[in-house]
Amino acid sequence: MNELIELLKDLKPDVDFETETALVTGGILDSFDIVNLVTELNNFYDIEITASDLVFENFDSAAAILALVERLQDE
Amino acid sequence: MAYTSLNFFFFVAVTMLFYFLFPWKQLKWTVLLAASYFFYLLAGYRFAVYILFTTCTTFFAAHRIEKLAAQAKQSLAEHKTDWTREQKKLFKEQENRRRRRVLCLVLVLNFGILVFLKYYSLFAGSLNSLLGRYAISFSAPVLNLLLPLGISFYTFQSMGYLIDVYWGKISAQKNIAKFALFVSFFPQIVQGPISIYDQLANQLYEPHDFDFTRFKHGAELMLWGIFKKLVIADRAVIALNIALEDYSAWNSATLVFLLLLYAVQIYADFSGGIDISRGVAQIFGITMVDNFRQPYFSLSVSEFWQRWHITLGAWFKRYLFYPLAVSKSFLSIGKSIRKTKIGATKAGQHVAKVLPTSLASFAVFLLVGAWHGANWKYLGFGIWYGGIMMLSSLMAPVYTMMRENIKGSVKSFGFTLFQILRTFFIVLLGYIFDLAPNLTQSLDTFRRLLTRPSISTARLQISSMGLEARHYVIILFGSTVMLLIDLYHERYGSNTIRNALDTKPFFIRYSLILGCILVTLYYGVWGPSFGASAFVYMQF
Repeated sequence: MNELIELLKDLKPDVDFETETALVTGGILDSFDIVNLVTELNNFYDIEITASDLVFENFDSAAAILALVERLQDE
Repeated sequence: MAYTSLNFFFFVAVTMLFYFLFPWKQLKWTVLLAASYFFYLLAGYRFAVYILFTTCTTFFAAHRIEKLAAQAKQSLAEHKTDWTREQKKLFKEQENRRRRRVLCLVLVLNFGILVFLKYYSLFAGSLNSLLGRYAISFSAPVLNLLLPLGISFYTFQSMGYLIDVYWGKISAQKNIAKFALFVSFFPQIVQGPISIYDQLANQLYEPHDFDFTRFKHGAELMLWGIFKKLVIADRAVIALNIALEDYSAWNSATLVFLLLLYAVQIYADFSGGIDISRGVAQIFGITMVDNFRQPYFSLSVSEFWQRWHITLGAWFKRYLFYPLAVSKSFLSIGKSIRKTKIGATKAGQHVAKVLPTSLASFAVFLLVGAWHGANWKYLGFGIWYGGIMMLSSLMAPVYTMMRENIKGSVKSFGFTLFQILRTFFIVLLGYIFDLAPNLTQSLDTFRRLLTRPSISTARLQISSMGLEARHYVIILFGSTVMLLIDLYHERYGSNTIRNALDTKPFFIRYSLILGCILVTLYYGVWGPSFGASAFVYMQF
């Protein structure tokens, strides 16, 4: 989780990713941010996030993003 | 049957009667299906073949895709222990390809019909004029093609459903009649909103009993939509139609006036239509997503497109922008830049980061432009918005630096107002591509806007556009009411005005409603002398 938080903070330093649970629904991350995040996650975790994974449920909190990463690592 | 016609109100009343009195609760949705097909056939029974084709191909393709996915899952489960990781991966890829083939076939067929019907005449006409210029005797045949009602809307909605099934986000609908209702639901067939299956379908199939508060709120929303359409939009469109006939004659001040009038007209027309649709759906207990969220209060162009025609933007984002932006080929653009000398610099790193996304966004705006109509001017529309979006993401570090310099006042009222006005100005210039008759005239408008304005000439020109001064006063009054209501919604959320009205004493509540009815009846553009116009977005 700490690695992910660091990665997210690089993207948006002023957001409290540890507690925030409405990253997409609250308008903190826009579609451009999400695509940038996907690039970083793909490179860092060696996974392949596809368009079908890009729903707000997977990106609304750091925990949800981590769950997505872990699911894709398992596949 | 226009949404603002008496026939439509009669039709809704009869449908309500059948729906709420229908004895078989679980089959209430069949009343909505019958009503939707009656509405559609009335618009032109020959067109029904297109909507039936989309319904059937999408329904069966979704089933095929789901069946293939289930079979693949079963095979994987059976060979869980005896297949290696590579074998499983290979099998998955092979099965994905099979499903993708079905998806692509149906996408090509349905979008092919839409593209052919919508753009054939434009391409044939352009080709013929090009060949004529070089004295080549070949000419593409001229076909008199008519667009079936709502084809863009139901095609997009159906294809969204199919992609969701392909992605495994939803289960395929088992009942073709139920699916036919999702495709043809009458309040949304004319001009959207483009709904996502997950959000709408179950609401359509669940039985709903009559609820007076819901009926009242739905009717109030309809009334507000009718007011915007008949009092504001249909009045403003009279001047706009006349202005279009002699478009090249108008001076810069007249053009600014026309652009402002168009900004009011298109918003009142489209949001009015959507309010009527959502109001009707609400009466039946169905909540449809809103298509507008006070778009003219947007702080940036990107935000404007999240507040204007929301469901179209959401569709393009979900099914085109994301797949493009996260595709290997687009992501590789960034990687390639990083490997170059420029990529090692700070600016280069920023470009490598945002360019793939910006290119995907540019491609999406070109298609959003094309969606708006079969005219080369919409290519200009796409380039205008796509270009601005691309520029703003490439220049983001510069804007951040500028903002840091004015730290402290970034959230001030003055700066917010500046952002709103700046965005509105860009949107207003974007309307040139809607307003002008063709691409040449659109580009020429930018030049003409820079010429010296003459207020006295503009006065003369505007007075020749078929509307007397009192009509502009009515438009101004209507726009002010719209602005105040948007301000209220911006502050308190979009449902609160009707809820707030409920808390007022009976006399005040119904005086307001009656006042709105009377103003619409008296000032609405009903009469034959005006000539009622269709909804602008109906042509899509």
